Amino acid sequence: MDNQTVSRRDFIKLTAVGVAVAAGTRAIQQVEASEGAKGEHQWAMVIDQSNCIGCEHCTFACRARNDVSPDIEWNKVLEAGEVGGKMTYLPRPCMHCEHAPCVEVCPVGASYYRDDGIVMMDYDKCIGCRYCQIACPYEARTFNWEKFEGDNPAVPEWGMPEVERRPRGVPEKCSFCYQRIDRGLSLGLTPGVDDAATPACCAACPTGARVFGDLNDPNSQVSQLLKKYPSYRLREHLGTGCRVYYIPVGVVPVRDVTTTEG
Amino acid sequence: MKTIIKTIRENALTPWGLWLGFLGLLLLGALLGGLTVFWKGLSITNLTDRVPWGLWITLDLSAIALSAGAFSLCAGVYLFGLKRYAPIARTATFVGLIGYTMAMLALVLDIGRPDRFWKALVYWNTHSLLWEVTMCIMLYLTVLVLETMPIFATFEWLKKRFPKLTEKMEHVHHYAPFLAILGLGLSSLHQSSLGAVYGVIKARPIWYKPEMAVLFMFSAIVGGIALTLLASMLSARLTPKAKINDGLIERVAQFLGYLMIGYLYFRFWDWLAQTYTYEPGRTEAFELLTKGTLSFNFWFGEMIIGALLPTFILLYRPARLSPFWRMLGLAMVVGGVVAFRFDTNIVGLLAVISYLPGEALVSYASYTPSLVEWVTGLGIIAYGLLAFSLGVKYLRVVDHRITSEARETVTVKSGEAVQI
Repeated sequence: MDNQTVSRRDFIKLTAVGVAVAAGTRAIQQVEASEGAKGEHQWAMVIDQSNCIGCEHCTFACRARNDVSPDIEWNKVLEAGEVGGKMTYLPRPCMHCEHAPCVEVCPVGASYYRDDGIVMMDYDKCIGCRYCQIACPYEARTFNWEKFEGDNPAVPEWGMPEVERRPRGVPEKCSFCYQRIDRGLSLGLTPGVDDAATPACCAACPTGARVFGDLNDPNSQVSQLLKKYPSYRLREHLGTGCRVYYIPVGVVPVRDVTTTEG
Repeated sequence: MKTIIKTIRENALTPWGLWLGFLGLLLLGALLGGLTVFWKGLSITNLTDRVPWGLWITLDLSAIALSAGAFSLCAGVYLFGLKRYAPIARTATFVGLIGYTMAMLALVLDIGRPDRFWKALVYWNTHSLLWEVTMCIMLYLTVLVLETMPIFATFEWLKKRFPKLTEKMEHVHHYAPFLAILGLGLSSLHQSSLGAVYGVIKARPIWYKPEMAVLFMFSAIVGGIALTLLASMLSARLTPKAKINDGLIERVAQFLGYLMIGYLYFRFWDWLAQTYTYEPGRTEAFELLTKGTLSFNFWFGEMIIGALLPTFILLYRPARLSPFWRMLGLAMVVGGVVAFRFDTNIVGLLAVISYLPGEALVSYASYTPSLVEWVTGLGIIAYGLLAFSLGVKYLRVVDHRITSEARETVTVKSGEAVQI
């Protein structure tokens, strides 16, 4: 019986130490997270639904530049119902959430935040558990059930691939074309202004319905649009803090742009 | 070589030989299926982007849940001083070891990059529940290996070959109380976190509730104890190698009956709370359970056969005293926990809330496991059955004559009741 009392006491001690250590690490992490979250730039995308005509040029440009398989759409264009007898559209890239469920749940930290707010995937770290897919409220992630082999039908018509193809067995998603942003910044270009430094979808949009820029810069087009017009974000009540904003139909005047169908 | 052939020829048509043959076939099928999965990738499963977790995850969750007898019974024996139940805890640790290795096998199949399995241990996202579960499972598996050392030490061949080693392995028993403490801590963490893996997913309202952790913990304890008792009784019926003290099992079965009342209380409370108000996504998913595609699983698998009936059987003395009814009741509890795990995983995936603006619309996904998922899944179960059968035959896994303090064998004459 004596032996037992010792075990119980030890149990309590062990638990106390464990809880203290866990609480300590958690506290340190939170400090780090809140300090590291804001970088020099805070990238965001504004999609003006009044001017989106559902042409899917964004999807094709994205497919080419990011070498995305025809089975997968990083940027899906959905029909969002008719308004005044006219179909409206909702293009859906990754929302690059400020509190991204995918980053929170990833066991190995393969999904992570960049200082500029981009939610990134480290395809070399990912073990393919698909928890992120289950956690994402926007179905922004697609799993590579098969290896993408052969030609990309969007290349070269819509551009040349700028990143490596993802291997079989990992989920993939939109990265806000981080490669274009990083390269552009190093060349002294401004993402959102210079096409070469702007995500392929925004650069390819024939009607200018997709706008990209820095929320930290009050003069950027995204900041200006968000100041001028009412906007909404998808499943806002979840508190994910999306970096993709939508300006609803009927708010921005429709520009008259004739396009060639792709 | 000749002797091997001779042994095979002599034993092939015995029940033991047929049993091994049957399990061998299932294992062979799973081996081929598993290799095909590694070769072709997960595209040959019926998993989709909308239902990325399916049968294998159910197997995972169930195997881990049904292993929970190990920590709960060890805690009872070594921390709460119920020493006379030590032989049952011994069986439970062995069942636990098998269950966790089964879960590992299912996980290796399920992840997209099995070659990167080790990365889960090297790269840490301490915020992730899956990280916590992975760590706890690895640590707890180590605890289970240590806890089952004395069991492996009873292997006659090993004893003859390496007497010093088996002595050392046997000695690990002295640390049982400490291992029980570790096991209780680690298991409490990951058994509930496994529920929280679902419970923290905001995107899917039927999962998004704190009681997920409580329900998983509670169902694991009842399921784990039930499987341990069932496995003990079944093996005692099938082979003279297993020796049980029916009185001990009967007492634990009664205790399990009371636990079932607690489990039912939590389920009922969870169930009622969900019917109260319309909540987009949650209500639709819940209706899949109560009147949709999962209604049979839910009402019969989880509720009536899985929880209500066995509670009556285990608490009603005449039924409990009958080995047949008791075993049936225990099997029902086990089945109920598996059904609960299956339904919980799948229901959240089947009802998908649209992210389009405006009123939340719900669409429905579908999933039926593919042949390769079944074949490999059954193979993993066959591995579990084989490991347990070998354990009973060669390792005195189910032997209630072993007492915890002295670890001496009580000699009994045949036809005499075992007194401990």
